[in-house]
Amino acid sequence: MSEHGPDDHAAAAARRAERAPPLRRPAGVGEPPVVAFEQVTFGYGRIPVLREVNLRIAPGEFVALIGPNGSGKTTLMKLGLGLLRPTYGTVRLFGVPVQRFSDWARIGYVPQRAGAESAVPVNVAEVVRSGLAGRLGLVRRPSRAQRAHIEHVLDLMGLGPLRKQAVSALSGGQQQRALIARALVTDPDLLVLDEPTSGVDADARGVLRESLEHLLRIHGVAVCYITHDPAGFSGLADRVLELRAGRLVECADPSVHHHEHELPANGRGLP
Amino acid sequence: MSMLEFGFMQRALVACTAVCIVAPLVGAFVVQRRQSLIGDGMGHVAFAGVGVAFLAGFAPLWGAAGFAVLAAFALWKLQRSGMSGDLSLAMVFYGGIALGYLLMHRSGMGLNSVLVLLFGSPLNLDWDMVWPIVALAGTVCVIVLALYGPLVAAAFDESAARVSGVPTDKLALVLTIVVGLIVVGGMYALGLLLVAAMMVVPVAAASQLARSYRGTMALGAAIGGSSAIIGLTLAFYADLTPGASIVLTAIAWYLLAAAVRSVALRTTSDAHASA
Repeated sequence: MSEHGPDDHAAAAARRAERAPPLRRPAGVGEPPVVAFEQVTFGYGRIPVLREVNLRIAPGEFVALIGPNGSGKTTLMKLGLGLLRPTYGTVRLFGVPVQRFSDWARIGYVPQRAGAESAVPVNVAEVVRSGLAGRLGLVRRPSRAQRAHIEHVLDLMGLGPLRKQAVSALSGGQQQRALIARALVTDPDLLVLDEPTSGVDADARGVLRESLEHLLRIHGVAVCYITHDPAGFSGLADRVLELRAGRLVECADPSVHHHEHELPANGRGLP
Repeated sequence: MSMLEFGFMQRALVACTAVCIVAPLVGAFVVQRRQSLIGDGMGHVAFAGVGVAFLAGFAPLWGAAGFAVLAAFALWKLQRSGMSGDLSLAMVFYGGIALGYLLMHRSGMGLNSVLVLLFGSPLNLDWDMVWPIVALAGTVCVIVLALYGPLVAAAFDESAARVSGVPTDKLALVLTIVVGLIVVGGMYALGLLLVAAMMVVPVAAASQLARSYRGTMALGAAIGGSSAIIGLTLAFYADLTPGASIVLTAIAWYLLAAAVRSVALRTTSDAHASA
């Protein structure tokens, strides 16, 4: 499907430049895609969910993945993160097959906000700090620089004054920003957001959107945004893909889905 | 006469307080992973280990510890094989209690010995039994504090922790083994059926008042330790059974904490309404 040659990178970079120039880590020509699905097929038992999916997300690119509930969006994301194994095909992260990938600090994952529910009270700073656990290993504590970075990320997401608050006492939008802050604390190259506006009110959606725009402009992070609500990413996405009957369909415009076509099996010809 | 003048009370206080301080440190992760009954089940399996020890003629503590570690591996394997958490727990734990009863009957153990294992007998401990209990509690404490960061990450959101590179599978195994060790450590002090309560109840009480994970663990340990001291004091002066007194004291702490939280919430909402 989307085979990204130098021209594709240039086109994506041009769209980002229109949005606002990134101050850091622009999409480099020749860099491997941050995530690549190659002929990936997957099913739960005998029930097929994804069929021969091909997808490449370039560094710094914002890709929105839409589709109704049960269409396989979350399954695709889990395959991309190595939480599931494909029946056929290969998933690569930064050019490395996902089974052998070890540099997980390059990926920030924001699960659905259900993940913010906690039987034991946990405060915002603890949630954000937990994002460093993989990088620190089993027994190391955060260094002074890492603690300073945690504070920076808390401020970046507007959570500084709430750092000691229990997460359960926050609004839906604040909880979502806490989960995004946790994903950002390792300074990732790819941010995966699963239904980030689910259960979030309109004001909070606006704040989330501003936060995402800031991340794209300042940090140049590649984003994979999974949702059934196109309003959350309209104007931000470089590409919008829809999952239908287990296959990816590209939508030319996030809000008007009329120039759509199924992604070809050879993965070529897409912007 | 002060209860501290009696050697048996000194030994009971040391053993029970050590177990009751450390158990909530483990319990904070068990409760967050919604496996509050895992300690109870590990007690069932340790019971089978004691039966084997009696039959084979070695120390019951080692039999219980060995079976608890084996059960931790079995649970880990079952859960990784796709069997649901509840179902795998039930399979291992009911198997353990059945095997334990069968072996104890076979070894000719009396009913009193069985009751001591199930409900504890801290007043009958000698120092040779107290020190292994303290050592087990200390080992568990060191493991939990050393792995605090990854354990919090995995307990709060296992998928996100796994994606960030935390070895969640191995941590789940370590946590289950640690639960088994604290159950075994508390076997003679509180009993296999009651020790698990001290992993859960102090955490439930602390959760009513704390606003952070670290705060919940610290307050839970304080509630656990104070429950041991108050419960044993009540048992000494009112001639009550010690294990049950300790657990009921912890439950009283929970009720008090829930009442304080309820009043605090009502006061806050009244203040908002009048503002």
